[in-house]
Formats: sequence, C-alpha cells, structure tokens
Amino acid sequence: MPSARSGRRHQSIPFWRRARRILLLAAIACLIPAGISYVQAMGEKHNVGLGVRSVEWLRQNGGNSIVSQIENWYYTLTAPAKGGSPLRSLPQVGVGSAGEGPGSRTRDYRPPNVKPLIQPALPGEGVWKKAASHAGPRPPVLLTTFRSDPEYPKFVAGVAWIDSSRTRLAYVPGLAEPPAPLAHRGPAEVPEAKRKRVVATFNGGFPLETSNAGLIYRGKVKEAMVNGVATVVEYRDGRVDVVPWHQGPGAPANVWFAKQNLPPIIEGGQLGAKLSDGPEWGETVNNAVRVWRSGLGVDNRGNLLYAAADFQTVESLARILQRAGAVRALELDINEDWTSFISYRHPGAGEPANLLPEMLRPPERYLTPDERDFFAVYLRPGQRW
Amino acid sequence: MRLPRDIGPGAAARRALLADVLIALGIALLAFLLAAGIGIVIFVALPTLLVLLAWIATEAAVRGVRRRRLSSAFKTGTRESHAP
Repeated sequence: MPSARSGRRHQSIPFWRRARRILLLAAIACLIPAGISYVQAMGEKHNVGLGVRSVEWLRQNGGNSIVSQIENWYYTLTAPAKGGSPLRSLPQVGVGSAGEGPGSRTRDYRPPNVKPLIQPALPGEGVWKKAASHAGPRPPVLLTTFRSDPEYPKFVAGVAWIDSSRTRLAYVPGLAEPPAPLAHRGPAEVPEAKRKRVVATFNGGFPLETSNAGLIYRGKVKEAMVNGVATVVEYRDGRVDVVPWHQGPGAPANVWFAKQNLPPIIEGGQLGAKLSDGPEWGETVNNAVRVWRSGLGVDNRGNLLYAAADFQTVESLARILQRAGAVRALELDINEDWTSFISYRHPGAGEPANLLPEMLRPPERYLTPDERDFFAVYLRPGQRW
Repeated sequence: MRLPRDIGPGAAARRALLADVLIALGIALLAFLLAAGIGIVIFVALPTLLVLLAWIATEAAVRGVRRRRLSSAFKTGTRESHAP
C-alpha cells in the first residue's frame, strides 16, 4: 500500500512552470551585476540626461550594434518628406551685417561667400558674418547659413570658417571620453585661464569605442592610430590639418594631437570614395539615414571649416563642406545630443551662441565639464579680438 | 550515493527550487560568457523579467478572480439553501 507521502510526490510542479521559474531566476541573476554596473555609471559625474547616459552605457557595454539598429529604424520611420513650404528667412547667425563680409576694405584674406544652391537666395544666404561683436577687420571666426539641398528646401546648414593663422586649435578631453586611463585629462571644460582667448568650441567626434580609431594626445598615443582613417591633426608648430592618416600606429615626433574619425568624406576637393555604408564606418547609424551630422574640413589655405545641420546623410554633409570650400574633411559627431558649435561674442567666453538655433545642447555646454571630448579654438598669443 | 526518494512535498519543492536556482545561475553565467557585453545581457534580461512578471501577475489575478467567483457562488448557494 503506497504511503501518503509517496502519493503526494506525484503532484510535482508542471514542466512549463518550472521552466518559467528558471527563466525568471536567470533574468534576476543577470540583472544583479548588470544593475550594479548601470547604477555605478549613472552615479558618476555627467552633464547629460538619464536617457542619453543610459544609451551611452549600453553602447559602452557591448550594445552598440543594438543601439545603432534601433536608431536606424527610428530615423528611417521619422525621415522627413521632400519638398515642403519654402523658407522666407534664415536663422540669424553672427553679429556682423551682410556688408561686413568678404570684400570689405581689407587686404586680409576672407573666404568667398558660399554660393546659394536654391534661387532666389534668401537675404544673407551664404554670406559670411563675424562671430564676435568686437572682432576687428580680421575676424577669427566667420559664420553663415544656407539651404543645402534643393530637394529639401526647409533644411538649413550652418557653417563656420576659422582663420588658422590667427587661432590655435586645442583638443580637450571630456569627463568620460577618451576613457581612463588618461594623463593630463584636465577640467573637461574650457579652462578658466584660457577663457579670455577662446573664440569657438565644437564637438570632438565619435568616442574611441565606436570609432575603432586612434588618438594621440599631448604627443603620446592613447589609442593606436589606424592608417586610412580621417584625422584632425595639430603639429607641434601649431599647424592644423585634416588628413587621411598614413603614418602607422605610433605618434610621429611632430604631432601634438591627432583625433581620428571614420573614413575621409572629402579628399583633394572631391567627395570621398567611401561614402556608402561599409565595414570601415563601424557600427553607426547608416550613412544614408538623415540625422544631425557635423563635420570638419580645411580649405585650400589651411583654414578650418566646420559644418552642421539636421537631416543630413554623410554625402549631403560632405557636399555642404565642399560647397563651403573644404578640400579635405571628416565627419565628426552625429545626433542632436552631441552636435555643438559655439562661438563667443565677447572676450572671456562672453555671450556664447550656438551656430544654429536648433542645436539641442546649450551654448554654455563647454563652460561646464562635459562628457565628451571637444575642440576649443583660441586666439594665438599676440592676436587681439 | 543517491538522494532519498521518499520525501515529503515540502522537501521535494525545496529540492526542485534548489535545482532551478542552480540551472538559472548556469544560464546567467553562460549569458555573461557569450554576450558581447553586460549591456546586451541587461537588454535581453530586463524585457524577459518584465514579461515573466506580467505573466505571473496576470495568472495570479485570474486565479484570484476565479476564487472570488467560486466563493461568492458558494455563499449564495448556502444562503438559498438555508432560506425560510
């Protein structure tokens, strides 16, 4: 005769219920260490919202491909329609009037105005304006806007021209980018001592984790350089250039800093040969997806050109820079959270202003410690506003 | 050495729970070893947890509603049978 115990033994938990319990326990076991890592990351000092920081944490912890894929879906679903009502005016940039642009009474070089793509041109379209109110006859930074795509006449690109003979470019590490360890990280903002000379600041390109490229900081290799990748380089003599890198993984003796980001988008004045998606672009939003994009180039005199606009593909960004006069260029950051160009209208980092009013981050972005690395443009010693 | 087979339901339940916990830890360890990073693990584990919790909560709610209905039907039946 079976005992009461053995009779009850057969009333075991159904298989599916046990499988569910195992899955639940496994999920909890996975979430404990992941949660600790996430909470620690969120507790660190940062100046972006929780959502952005969470996405960045996911990217830094193996989720880059997932984030990029979701972004691709999102931006494809929210892609803008072609056409639309034409604009009647452009956003106001700079402080000088249109008449103070190139061709004024000075023998100093001024870049030619950007020829508008869409006719009739809007007032001030493509005309360079001074970024600072006290800038003399040789303003170190000029700004302009123009409609960059006839198929999308509502889109406005912002472009800045930076006189390399009067300014010096500095690479400023952020709080989290480049990642530790890094000697001489600095304050992750425009240093107080240098603010009287700062004329502009702008975003510094993809994080090393996602760019799969190199970085030389203060003459030392932080991340091995990669041949063929577009590189912003400052030499020890203060000269700045944007070049495809061909000097191997180490730091040449004459290089002070070099930041790499993706393949070149303009070479020899022509659009880059690799503007379509490919493995050399890494895990990022597809190149044909329209999103905030920014880029940096040099004109044929070695002056810097920065461009940014919403709803751009890699190719349309390259065309903006090419139209503005860039002969070599690279793409910097994409997405509204990372794209910033800020000019300072008064000495002492006074009255900071975004290049385009639609730029999401505040103009004071680089006057407080920032997550990401960035570039600061200072007047050279002896140069006056 | 074999585990005793003739055990009470409480002991059997505890034994099953221990086995499930060990299997779950093994799955978690495997996930951490195979995934590209901790971000991927959380990306999969969090929705899994939420779905399972929602499932369990729904099941419990349905069970509770059924029990209440049965209980009220039983009470109603009792009252009717004792009605004068």
